[in-house]
Parts: sequence; C-alpha cells; structure tokens
Amino acid sequence: MLSIKNLHASVEGKEILKGINLEIKAGEVHAIMGPNGSGKSTLSQVLAGNDAFEVTEGEVTLNGENLLELETEERARDGIFLAFQYPVEIPGVSNLQFLRTAVNAMRKHKGEAEMNAAEFMKLAKEVSKQVDLDPAFLKRGVNEGFSGGEKKRNEIMQALMLQPKLAILDETDSGLDIDALKVVSDGVNALRSDDRAILMVTHYQRLLNHIVPDYVHVLAGGRIIKSGGRELALELEEKGYGWLGIKDDDASN
Amino acid sequence: MATTDNEVKELIKREYEHGFVTEIESDTFEPGLNEDVIARLSAIKKEPEWMLEWRLKAYRRWLEMEEPDWAHVGYPKVDYNSISYYSAPKRKEDMPQSLDEVDPELLKTYEKLGIPLHEREKLAGVAVDAVFDSVSVATTFKEPLAKAGVVFCSISEAVHDYPELVKKYLGTVVPQGDNFFAALNSAVFSDGTFVYIPKGVRCPMELSTYFRINAANTGQFERTLIIAEEGSYVSYLEGCTAPMRDENQLHAAVVELVALDDAQIKYSTVQNWYPGDEEGKGGIYNFVTKRGACIGKNSKISWTQVETGSAVTWKYPSCVLRGENSVGEFYSVALTHNFQQADTGTKMIHLGKNTRSTIISKGISAGKSSNAYRGLVKFGPGAEGARNFTQCDSLLIGDRCGAHTFPYIESKNKSAIVEHEATTSKVSDEQMFLCRQRGIDPEQAVSMIVNGFCKEVFKELPMEFAVEAGKLLEVSLEGSVG
Amino acid sequence: MKSVPMLSSAFLHPAGHSLPEPLLALRKERASALVDMPLPTRKTENWKYSSKYLKLADDMAISLPAEGKTGNSLAVPGYKVVFLNGVMIPEASEYPDLDGIQITSFNDLDADEANALAARLGHTLDHAQAQFARLNGARFEDGLLVRLKAGAVLDQPLFIIHETSADASGSAYPRIFVEAGANSQLTLVEEYTSTGQASALISTVTEFSLAEGANVTSVRLNMEGENVQHIGATGVRQQRSSRFESHCVGFGGPLRRHDLQVRLEGEGAETKLNGVVVTQGKQHYDNHTSIDHVAAHCNSEETYRNIAADQSHAVFNGRIHIHQDAQKSNADMNNKNLLLSNGAEIDTKPELEIYADDVKCAHGATIGQLDETSVFYLVSRGIDRRQANVLLTMAFINELVEQIPVAVVRETAQARLSDFFEQTFREA
Repeated sequence: MLSIKNLHASVEGKEILKGINLEIKAGEVHAIMGPNGSGKSTLSQVLAGNDAFEVTEGEVTLNGENLLELETEERARDGIFLAFQYPVEIPGVSNLQFLRTAVNAMRKHKGEAEMNAAEFMKLAKEVSKQVDLDPAFLKRGVNEGFSGGEKKRNEIMQALMLQPKLAILDETDSGLDIDALKVVSDGVNALRSDDRAILMVTHYQRLLNHIVPDYVHVLAGGRIIKSGGRELALELEEKGYGWLGIKDDDASN
Repeated sequence: MATTDNEVKELIKREYEHGFVTEIESDTFEPGLNEDVIARLSAIKKEPEWMLEWRLKAYRRWLEMEEPDWAHVGYPKVDYNSISYYSAPKRKEDMPQSLDEVDPELLKTYEKLGIPLHEREKLAGVAVDAVFDSVSVATTFKEPLAKAGVVFCSISEAVHDYPELVKKYLGTVVPQGDNFFAALNSAVFSDGTFVYIPKGVRCPMELSTYFRINAANTGQFERTLIIAEEGSYVSYLEGCTAPMRDENQLHAAVVELVALDDAQIKYSTVQNWYPGDEEGKGGIYNFVTKRGACIGKNSKISWTQVETGSAVTWKYPSCVLRGENSVGEFYSVALTHNFQQADTGTKMIHLGKNTRSTIISKGISAGKSSNAYRGLVKFGPGAEGARNFTQCDSLLIGDRCGAHTFPYIESKNKSAIVEHEATTSKVSDEQMFLCRQRGIDPEQAVSMIVNGFCKEVFKELPMEFAVEAGKLLEVSLEGSVG
Repeated sequence: MKSVPMLSSAFLHPAGHSLPEPLLALRKERASALVDMPLPTRKTENWKYSSKYLKLADDMAISLPAEGKTGNSLAVPGYKVVFLNGVMIPEASEYPDLDGIQITSFNDLDADEANALAARLGHTLDHAQAQFARLNGARFEDGLLVRLKAGAVLDQPLFIIHETSADASGSAYPRIFVEAGANSQLTLVEEYTSTGQASALISTVTEFSLAEGANVTSVRLNMEGENVQHIGATGVRQQRSSRFESHCVGFGGPLRRHDLQVRLEGEGAETKLNGVVVTQGKQHYDNHTSIDHVAAHCNSEETYRNIAADQSHAVFNGRIHIHQDAQKSNADMNNKNLLLSNGAEIDTKPELEIYADDVKCAHGATIGQLDETSVFYLVSRGIDRRQANVLLTMAFINELVEQIPVAVVRETAQARLSDFFEQTFREA
C-alpha cells in the first residue's frame, strides 16, 4: 500500500530524515519507535504533506501513486489520515461543522452524494460514544478548550468518521492516563481491517500493549536502524534505547 | 508553509454581486448645496414649515463645522458642491398607494437583490421598507403591523402623519450639531425609516429597510428614527448595496433609537455598499452616525453589524445608558479587503446606575486594506455599579494590510468595572494544515476559520440574516486561495 | 479658524551659555523652530486628558538658578551625579574613572565630542508625540553624556539625582544622553526631587541608544513637590539583540507627564516596561508610552498600574506599533487601574497599530475598585478595614515594585508608597 524509498527531508535547511525505507501492506500495523528528535514526527508530517518540511530526495507511493506530487488535501482524500501529536484549536468552528465539511469533501471526491445533516448527526453521535466523548462536545469549537485527553480522543473519532486507508498516529498515547489510553486504543483497534494500514509513531512501548503491531521499527538519526516484530519493542523497553547505541534523555522509561 | 499565505491572499478576489445599474428615469437635482436647494427639497416633500426651519438650522451649523480628520482613514476631500442632494425615480403620483403602482423596474431591482417586495413573494415574517436613492419606494406588511399598533413607514410620511412624535424625538439622540456628517444629514436628509412601537407591544415581525443607491453623483442621506415605548420590543435590520461606479459616492446617514422603560431595540446591519475595485477605484464613503438612547430603566439597545462593503467607513453605533439597569450591546464584524478602509466601533456612555454594556468586535483585514476599531467606554460619576466588557479581536490575512485598535476608557465612578481585551492573530499555518489534512479545500478552510472567528457576532443576528452574513463573508473572501 | 494658544515666546530664551559651541548652535536652531509651537489643548489627541493641568505663566519661563544646597535625596550605594535645576553639580557628584566608560557633563565636552553629540541629540524621540522634548532641546543648559564602549560593564548602578530648587518661579531642563556600545551593560537610576514652594516647570529628556547586544536597565523615580509641573520624555533606540528594561514609579503632582518611546530596530531586541503611578488629593499623572516594532523577531512586554484616590486623575496611553516588516513580533501590554474614590478619574487608552500579519499582540485594560471579598476576608481575620485597604492597594502594585532591581530604590519606593496609602486611607 505505502512504499517509502530513500526518503530525505529537511526543515529550515536542516536535514531530519536521512534515507527512510519502509513498505507497509494493507491490513498491517506498523510501529515506529525512537527517541526524541529522531525524526518520528517529521516522517508523519512529511507523509501528510506539511509544506514546512522539504523533501530533498527519495520517493513515496500510495497504491502506486506518487504521493509527493499531491497537495495535502488530495492526500487526505486518497486516504491518508494523520492523528496529530498536538491538535490545533480552531475557535468558533464546531466539531460538527468541521467533520461534516471534511466527510463531505471526501464523499464528493469519491463521487458519492453528500450526507445530509440528520444522517450525519446520527453517525457522529454514535462514533463519539465509541471514543467516550459526550455528544455535546460536537457543538464545541474544534479542540477549543479541550483537555489533552479529549483532543486525542477527538483525533481518533475523526479517523473513525473518515475511514482512511492509512492512519498515521503521531504520539497518540502521549499525555493519556490509563483509562483514556484504553479508550483510544479500542478506537484504533476498531479501525484495524484487512484493507487498512496503521502506522503508529511512539516513544514508549506501553501503547503497543494495547494495539499490538505486526512490525516494529526503530528510528534514530533520521534512519530506520532496526526492524523486527512485536518482541523488538519489549526488548527496547527492557534495555532502553541505549541498548542500540542511541542517546535518549527520556530513555529511563 | 509559505504557500498557505499566498493561497489565503488569493482567496480574496471576487466580483461585487450587486453592482448593476437600474435604468430608470429619475428626477435629480443639479449638484450643489445652499439654502435654496434645501428649501426645494423640503418643498418637494411638502414638509411643514418647522421641518424646513430645522433643516436650515442644521445647515447653518454645518457651514461652521470642519470635516473630522481624526479617524484612521485617508481619502481625497469631498467637494460637497459636486454632489446632487436629491434623486428619485419618476412616478405618476407623489406616493405609491400600493405596490401595484410601483415601477416594475424598481420591483425587478429589489428582486434581483434578493428582496422581493411584491405581495405574492414577500419575505415571510419580515416587513421591508425599500429606499431607492433619496426616497422610499415601498413598504410591505403595513396592514398587519398597523393592526398591532406598530408604525412602520418612511420618515417623510411620518413628518406628515406623526408630526408630534417626530418633533418630540428627532435630533434628541443625535443633535443637529453633533458632528460634521450628522449636521449635513440633518440639513439634507431625503428619506429613511420611521418606526414607532407602542407601549407593551412586541413587534410581530422583523422590520427591515433595504437601502439602494442607484443614481450617479448623488449622495444618500437617510434618516432613521425608532421609538420603543415602555415595555415594547422590536428587531430591525438594514441592508445596503450600490452599483459599481468609478467615482466615490457619499452616504451620510443618521440613525436615532429611543428606548423607554423596559423597552428593547435590536438593530442589525448588513452593510454591503460597493467597496470599490481591486485598485481602490470607486466605492461608497459610508459616514454614518448611529446612536441609541436607553432613556428608560431596564431598557436595552443592541447593535449588531456586519460590515463588508464601502470604500471608507466611519461609523460608531453607540448607546447612551441613562436609565437605571439599562443595557447596551455592540457586536461587530468588519471585513476590509483591497483598498477598503474602515474606522468603526462604538461608544458606551454609562450615566445611570447598574448600567451594563458588552462590546464584541471582530475585525478582518485582507489585501491592502486598513481596519480600525475605535471605541469609547465612559462611566460618569453617577454610573454606580456599572459594568463593561470589551473584546476586540483582529485577524490579518496577508502582510500588506493593517489592523488597529484604539479604545478609550474613562471612568469617574469607583464602583464601575471595565474589562478590555484585544488580540491580533492570523489564520495559522497549523489550522490550515489540520483542515487540509482532513481533506478540506484551502478556500473552504479559510472561510470556515474566518466564520468561526466571527461566530460570537453572527449568533446575534436574526436567523435569516446570519446565514446571509456568513455567505457574504465567504463571497468577500472568495478567490483568496488559488 | 479658531485661535490656538501658542507657547509664550518668553520660553524661547535660553540662559546659560557655557555649553560648547556645537550644542549652543543646536539649541539656537531648535529655539527658532519653536516659534510656532502650539500649546496642547483638549483637542490635541496626546494631551486630551491632561491639557487642563498645564499652567505655564511667563514667570515660569525664567531659568531656575543652579545655586543652593543639594542633598535632599537617596543615600546612594552606587555612583552618583547630581543635577540642580538642570545643571550638573560636580562637587556633589561621585563617580570613578572607569575604563571604557565616559561620564561627562555637556559643559565639559571637547569640540569633537560636542559635534558628535549634537548630531545625535534628540534622535531617539518622535518630537511630534513628545512636544515638550522640543522645548528641552531649545533650553537645556547642561546635560550628562554617558558612553559605554563595546563590552564595557558599569559594575554598580549610576544614580542621577535631579533636584529642582524653586524658591522663585522658574523652569529647568535637564538632559541625559546614554550611548551603550555593543554588549555593554548599565543600570541607570533617575530620581526627581524638589525643594522650595514657588511654581516651577521641569522639562526633561533622557535618551538611550543601545548598540547590538547592549543591556540597559532604567529606573525612574518621580517624587517632586506639589509646586512642580513635570514633563519628561525618554527615548530609546535598540539595535539587534539588545535588551532594555524600564521601571517607573511616579507620585502625582499638579501636572505629571512622562512620554516613553521605544524603537526596536534590530532583530531579536527585547524591551520590558513597568510602571506604577499613584495619585491623591487633586493630583495628576499621565504616562504615554509607545513601542515601535520596526524589525522582525522582537519582543515587548509592558505592564502599568495606576491608582487614583480622592479627586485625582491618572492617565495611561500605551501604543504598540508593529511595522510592516516586523514579522514574528511579540507584544503584550497590560494596564490595570484602581479607582479609589468617586471624585477621581482614570482614563486609559491601550492602542495597537499593526501592519504585519505574523505577530502575536494582545492588550488588556481594566478599571475597578478593591475587591470587596478580599477586603472582607482580611477584616474577618481581625485586620481593621483601613489597614486592609492599605495592604490590598499595596498588593496591587507590589508585584511591579518588587521587580525594581536596585534595592535602595525598591525599598524607598515601597516605603513612600506605603506612606502614601496610609495617607490615602487616613481616618475620615
């Protein structure tokens, strides 16, 4: 589904990604782990098409199509979803309005009819329950005054609404207490299916107890330095990033 | 995300929708202003002597006044002798007795503007007074309103039919010599709307006036007077458009509101005068004095304005809070684009005990425009326990525009409390990225974010117009993303 | 045309001719440009709230003599320069000869130095907004030049004590010019005091020119008597990565006015302005500040607090101007006011003028009285109401006073303020 070959990217002239290679097939769940500053977030931002990052070399294809040629919104409509590490607030724009605009943009792209308000409301309420958000929150501004946990749940809710082909979860577990982590993980697990892939980016392995990955990759210094199965994450947890010769300020966790 | 900025800038281009000209024969005065012109104007309207005297008094005051230059706007000096002070479509009778007698061209004009006047297609639940250049051409729903005791007519009619009310209130809120433009208006106002809500009456429908400037080289000087007697309620809305012309045209209106004990007036404006073209050529000079007096205790006056048009706007809808516990509100969205300039805001003058006011101002500047909030919050010595809350937010779209805030806050009462906050921001790259990552067009994203920014104000508009205002904003911003 | 009152020509005749020739020439030129200076009226925007306090009689045009006793001032722990009625008194001044640091009276400058100074005197100020700085420019009889070479660090605060001695009516025009070289560092304290009872005008100008990386802290303590009208202007120009910090504490008077203008001209420059004003009786105080963000990536932070009691009148006008290319500017302005009596008046006008889009700017202003719940809380703990008022009023400004980095000034200010509030809340 997703194929990344020798991807280099930089921000403000500084190279962050230094040759990433990664193949993800439909139905797979991949986890990318790495210390702070290893380039994890950059990778997710680059895949989603944030113009702040410049791709200097390499190629990325989604189902054979050159992803790097596409605008952010075109990638989204082709099925790339990014759950943000720091979801931004949009004051005055309600979640409902925001989601409906997004869902209908996708439907229009697929040549489907737009969802009417009542239909949409029903769906949105169901999904909001799935991530344990009070449906009243649908009327509030996007992420406006949300707690950290609410913001993360809102991201997963959006993924469930938009039904992407590839969901990229950027540090979706950070700042969550154990109950919220459970809710978010259940949401993500509900997304798992044979025709969908999930790419999780995380610093810690605790998320992987709830969402069990098929593959684990360790990112350091802008390159994937080791790949393996589920057991690699456990080994990392036990031995710390130092085990792979990587410096990490927070490796004590 | 450097491209976002360009996209946002691109989003702001779009033709003015209401720029057509109606071909209609008009009686128009030669340009120029003197006492004879005022006498002719008064004679055409068959005004009583006192009205002419009142106008002449204002004119003489005006001659001694100087055009204000303190606003954050710049425009070439207006030559007041090059303007025609009266223009009206020709018609058989002096006043159309029914809509059937109104020139079909005029009906067509209003239909095109989305304001059907004809019996069969009238806007449900909204009574309309249509003012075309210098005169009122039609007023709908007169009968059902009359049944409720509500007077809704042109000010010219009111001078004839309700002289005592007009004499009692005209110029009491905005005196003839209040300012340069108010004095000019007092001398030459040609028409406008008069509303009277009797004691205890809740006006059964929205009242609205639709102002249209059509003729070239004319000024529009309308005068509106709304009186809400004890315990009454009225919601009033005005809309404004004008053809696209290369010359600037002057619009100098005066609006006076009077609220007695327990009365409420809600006054909403959707102002979409022709703003001029992309090079800043043409457009309306909108120099307007709007003021409401909360004379009675527990009275309330609420101003809501959505300002997207005009080349230059100079406008401060204000409240004088005299009655105990009276309330003043000002909700404003002002969007400027291309070379538009707006200096707008409000004055909340707290004189009575426990008076309260709220100011929410949202300024959006795009292109090379300049957008200023100017406000005064004043607590007199008698304003025991008075409160004001002010929030002024500015949004900049592009790096060649200006957003300014000039709040004046004056207090002479220790128990009065004022809180003022202002912020300036832009549509952030992060917000744009989030929207686009969810598949939303950049253009739609900007419009959604800007609408969200204005939400607190839009929710104050009557339902039917909130939607219109949102669309208007969308239209004004359209083309700013490529 | 209505007639506009003009500055009396009596004010245009400078005394004291011991200045070096280039400065005398400059003064003369500025005086001739002042012939048509209109006096501010209610219609003058930047004097709207204060023009009525300005009372200039012709006898006040006379230069106050630089004679008499000095010493009515702070016990100074650092270096000290004393000015009496606008003229430096070397006998009363104490400062060492430090490497890379020049502290010289204008009267003692050699021709080259005077020429160099004349070329720059006044360049930090927008005179259209600080009209009376022009009067100072036409009338100064002396001044102090403080120059720090690149990297020079003044190890102790430099106190400049301005004494006005007014046994007869008159005026004084002290002037300070500080040139802080690259990465130099300086703390300067200006203290304004007075003796005598005759009506007097003091018109001051202080200028700070900060080169790249310079770090200047300015403290201004305004404590003149009820007979002195004070109109001061401070101009600041900051180059790249320089840092300026200002702490002003002002006690009211018949007319008190301070214009503080800061221009951030180099990227990364930072400025922080704190101000406290208290007025009582029929006193007045008007602070006008303006911060121009000319270059990108600059920060400014401004906090002013006013307290007005009795029939007094406090004014704050803060202006932030973000120029077109000053992207990534951060500007924050906050003005809070306490109005303690119904006869008093507070006017505030926090202005933003913004021409760049990628900026973070905010301002806030409040006017109110002491929080009744807090007063009640203190009273319920056995503190008498008067004392509770004093404590809470002090608390309202103490946050700013605490930040004054020179202990003796901080303590003096605190003591004076505390006395002031004791008097404000004296038993009826």
